[in-house]
Parts: sequence; C-alpha cells; structure tokens
Amino acid sequence: MHTHRKIIHIDMDAFYAAVEQRDFPEYRGRPIIVGGSPDKRGVVATCSYEARKFGIHSAMPSSRARRLCPQAIFVRPRFEVYRQLSAQIRAVFQRYTDLIEPLSLDEAYLDVTKNTDFQGSATRIAQAIKADIFRDTRLTASAGVSYNKFLAKIASDMDKPDGLYVITPDEGAAFADALAIGKFHGIGKVTEAKMHDLDIITGRDLKTWSLEDLQDVFGKAAHYYYHAARGIDDRPVESQRVRQSIGSETTFDQDLSDSGDMLLQLRQRSSEVAHELVARGISGRTLTIKVKFDNFEQVTRSRTLEQSFTALSEMNALLPELLAKTDAGQRKVRLLGVTVSGLCVPDKEDSHVQLKLI
Amino acid sequence: MKFSVQRESLLKPLQQVIGAVERRQTLPALANILLRSDDSGISLTATDLEVELQAHLDMELSETGETTLPARKLLDICRTLPESAVLDFDIKADRSAIKSGRSRFSLATLPASDFPTLDELDNSQQLTLSQNELKSLIERTAFAMAQQDVRYYLNGLMLELTAKNIKAVATDGHRLAMCEIPFKSDLDATRQVIIPRKGVMELQRLLENNDDLATIDISNSHIRVTVAGLRFTSKLIDGRFPDYNKVLPKSTDKEMSVDKELFKQALTRTSILSNEKYRGIRLSHEKGSLKLQAHNPEHEEAEEIIEIDYKGEPLEIGFNVTYLLDALSTISSKLVDVKLKDANSSALVMGNGDETARYVVMPMRL
Repeated sequence: MHTHRKIIHIDMDAFYAAVEQRDFPEYRGRPIIVGGSPDKRGVVATCSYEARKFGIHSAMPSSRARRLCPQAIFVRPRFEVYRQLSAQIRAVFQRYTDLIEPLSLDEAYLDVTKNTDFQGSATRIAQAIKADIFRDTRLTASAGVSYNKFLAKIASDMDKPDGLYVITPDEGAAFADALAIGKFHGIGKVTEAKMHDLDIITGRDLKTWSLEDLQDVFGKAAHYYYHAARGIDDRPVESQRVRQSIGSETTFDQDLSDSGDMLLQLRQRSSEVAHELVARGISGRTLTIKVKFDNFEQVTRSRTLEQSFTALSEMNALLPELLAKTDAGQRKVRLLGVTVSGLCVPDKEDSHVQLKLI
Repeated sequence: MKFSVQRESLLKPLQQVIGAVERRQTLPALANILLRSDDSGISLTATDLEVELQAHLDMELSETGETTLPARKLLDICRTLPESAVLDFDIKADRSAIKSGRSRFSLATLPASDFPTLDELDNSQQLTLSQNELKSLIERTAFAMAQQDVRYYLNGLMLELTAKNIKAVATDGHRLAMCEIPFKSDLDATRQVIIPRKGVMELQRLLENNDDLATIDISNSHIRVTVAGLRFTSKLIDGRFPDYNKVLPKSTDKEMSVDKELFKQALTRTSILSNEKYRGIRLSHEKGSLKLQAHNPEHEEAEEIIEIDYKGEPLEIGFNVTYLLDALSTISSKLVDVKLKDANSSALVMGNGDETARYVVMPMRL
C-alpha cells in the first residue's frame, strides 16, 4: 500500500472584496462588489460576504446585482494591488513547499507530502500557512486538506470563511458519494445537465456507472469521472502549468453590427495575443475566433495551419475568412475573442524550418 | 414528366454528378439535382455555384418536363434498390412519385426555375485532348496544390496554353509540380487559367483512362470539359499565378540518379521515425551512396544507406519526406534523377528519360 499524498488547497476569502475592505475602512461591514460597472455590461468579479447575503455571486451581471442589493457599493478592481498581494501569498507557500500550482490570483494547490514540519502533519502546516498569510497581508484564507486535489478543493469550501477542513483517506469515498454532481471538479453546467438527464445527481449515482458506459457518453473525461466518484484523483500538483492556449476577448459597451468594425476589433485582439506569444517565445498552429451574438448565443470558428505561426500578419490574414463563416454582420455581436492554441516552443536544435519556394 | 429507367442506367450518372452537391448549402435548390428532358433523353445537373456537373442519360420519355429532386435521397433510393430494378418516375409540380416493384417513394420537388444553371460560355476558346492526356496532366500535378492558403490563387491548378504545348502547374509555396504535353494550336499568345481545387478533384474523378476525346472550352470566367455523356464546368480563380519559371532551379551542380522503388521504400521506412508534424528527413549524398536519417522528439532514430549514382561534392540536405514521396508516386520511370545545389536551394526531381513532368522541392532546414 502506498502512502497517501498530502494536498492543501488554499482559497482566499472573497479576495478582491476583502482587499478593498482592508484598504478602505469605510467599506468594512458593507456589501462591496468588485467588478464591472452596472451601467455598462460589467459582471461581478468578487463580492464581500455582506453582499453574498443578498444572493449576489461572482460572474453575475453587475446590473442584476444592483437590483438585488441597491445599497451595494461598486468598486473598480485594482489588479495591480491584487497581483502584488498574490505574490506575497505565493512567498508564504514557498516557505512550506516548492510544489505549488496556482489556479488564479487567490487560489492554489500545494503538495506538502515531503514537508516534515510539525511531524509531517498537513493539518498543522495548513494552520501555519493561514496564520502566515494573515500576519503578512491581514487577509483570511480557507484551507482544505486531503489526499488529492479534488477532495482538497471540496474541503476548502466546507468551512468558509477563515476555515480549515480535513478530509482523511477513510472519509474520502463517503464525501464523493454524498457530493452533488455539479460540485465535482471539471463538471460545469453543461456536463451537470447531461448527468442529471442520466439520473446522476450525486457521486453515489455516478459510482453505479461502469468505466465503459461512461466512456460511451463522456469520452476522454470518463476516466477522471469514474475515479473521482470513488474519491480517487491522481492528478499531480503541477508547479509549471503548461498553457494550452493564449487568448484575448472583449465585450463591447454597445453591440457591433458592422463587420468592418468587428474585423478591426479582432485585429486588436490578435495583436495582443501575438505580443503574448512573442513574450513567451512560443508559437501556435490553431487560430480560433469566438463570436457571441446579442442573444448570447456563441460560436467559434478555427483554422489549423500546417506550420506554426507567431507573426501578427499571419494571424490577421486568417481573420476575415473565419469571421465570414459566422453570421456576424447579419447579426449583432456583443463579444469577440481570438485564441491561439496548439502551442509549441520552437526548438532551437531541431527547428524544422521548411524553406519557401514562393 | 414521366419516364422509366433501369437502376444501373440512373445510378452511374447520379454518382458522377453528386460530387458537386455540397453537404451544407446556401440555397435550398442546391441540395437538389436538376432533371430536364431534351431531344434524346434527360440531363441531370448538380452545382455548388462554383462547380457544375451535368450527366446525360439517353432514353425515351413518356412525358417531357423539368424539375429538381433532393440529390442525396434520390441517390440513396437508387443505390438501395435491388439490381436491375426498374424505376418509374411520375413527377408533378410539387411531388414526385417513384415506384419500383412494391416500393413507393414520394419526394418533394423544387421548381426547375429555382435552380441556377450556367449557360453557354461566352467567347470561349476550344481545344481537344484525349481523356488520358488530360487525366495524366492533372494526376501528375494536382497533389501539389495548396489547401486553404490565404494566397487564394495557389488553391488550384494552373493550366497554361501556348502555341506548342499545354502545361499544368500546381504549388503550395513549398514544392511545385509541373507537367506538359505537346499540343499544336493557333494560339498567338500564352494563356493561363487557374481551376479551383474542388473543380480539379471532381474533374480528376470523372475522367477515365481511355483515348476518348475531351473537349475543353475556356472563357474568361469558366472552364468546361465535355466527355461522352458528361459535362464539367468550373469557375476560374481570378488571380495571377506565380511565375513558375523563376523557381525552377538553375545553377545545380550535383546530380543523383537512383532506382525509384529503392528510393521510395527507403524514404517510407525512414519516415516512420521522423517528426510526425514536420516529417523532416536528412539525406547525405556522396559518391556511390545516399544515407537517409530521421529522428523524432522521442529520440527514436532511423538510418538507412542505399546505392546511388552521384556526381558532385558531397551534400547534406533536409526535406519534408512527404514532398519527396508525393513526387515519386507520380513518376513512372525506373530511375529518378535529382538535381541539387546546396542545402538552402530547391531540388529538381524528374523521371529518368521523362521530360514531361518536373518537380521542384524546397529543402527543410533541420
């Protein structure tokens, strides 16, 4: 029998809102919404616990949040500050382990299996991390401790805010059994609905399915679902997360109806993506555009080239043809985005440059 | 419109024209096939507005007329009926009844007037080749056409007519294929047209390997090829094809001669361990021998040495092995000649003793 890993999931409590309340005493104890303006088309990035009582949650349109809680204070996000704090928090993690997988500015997985502080007690390491974060930033975090990423993340949500929750190897299977299917990592709204159609409501229902049957319905993801239902998740904590794609998108203050304007916007997005590619020294092979129409219906169109590209001109040359494959122009558009995937690092020693004839 | 036809007589023309019917159409009528009676029978027409295919079926009709029927459904019905079955068509304004034995089908029709057809070509120039010759011109070059290149004029096959010959040229910007056959015409100036990729593929499929004649009509905007019972029409790509003469290698000072099958097999074997994406392969030429080497990101390696005839300084050069294999596949000579200059310049590949087809392949820097 192999020894279990020790994974901690740290999630800052209402991070952006907590930072605002820390820096502006007048915000304390009041419903704070950090995000886009309710007059335009912003969405809620984070809201304080006071605001959550009104049913407000992140990703909700700001205008809806204001209807739910007219007295809420809307605050523009200060990403510079959040990034700085995030680095400070990362520095805390580094005192305890090198295996850190940041999920966003305010969330990370830590693998502390090899850490021998506190006789190797992951629970006490988590306590120490929480205390360090509070001492260094005056912000609270919730920690989940378990033997894999999936359960650690469930655990951090059990006792929020300022919580600490442990799921031991003996309890893991029971937790997965009772868990609503939508709470499983990687199961979004669409998959959740699909599972509900199949009468899979909790982990217990999921467990009744054989791997083969799951594969028929869910393909590659089936393997993960099958094991997750049994409290098993072998995904390692990846300190060097490999980017799968680089993208940029914007929602417009007013819907666009002219395809010329749309192309202009797409070019701006692709120039941002191109900068990012150059900065990272990588190139991609697939260019995808995303178009969201005024009724929120969304389509993507993509082209994969034989040879990878980094040049903006190569990307821009593909845009008109991709846009023409959508109804953009006949229909109004509220969001446009450009993504490059199929990323690779051009290998210096093994460059394979096909020379051009024409 | 009323007629009876045997399954096999209808199946072949249907299969010939179905290629023009796109799966996703912009106009409802484009999912249909146009049936139109004439003096000697019925013509079947399908189009995607770029390529039009028309087949003719000789027969006696009991009632003439014209209509359009859903192309794939009609083909599927015809295909799945038993051998030698006879189909009786009774076509009314909006419904078409098909009976065969104890099977009955009622298909929706759309009026023939909704169906876009191409009329006679204006100011066309006519020439005649054998099907063989035309098919071979296409087969020996079409593989080098670009696919969905932003340089739209590369996504097709260029036909060049001069007073003395006809040339077909295709290139994707990395390699080029060129084939010419002698042909006497009264043309006083060179003329170039570009047939779009889809048209080329359909034409290649329709042409047969025989000496029957193919009549080619070329107008400013279209090309039409007529063979017995079949008419192919395609729009032309409006653009300038690159000057192929400029990319033909000039000052080559090295020459390899090798048994084609031997070379092909060695390339195929070595390529198994080349990088799957780039397909790079290293060729080291020296007097009497050629070393082929490939390796992939998993650090697996392949190496093979074959006997060649080689004149010139030793040369190490990389290629996309697919480009070489594509060219070799269309060469019928027993020996292949490759002319080279250096690792950054294009190579010229030709069948030994065959001046009609030339392949230019640009190297890959490995």
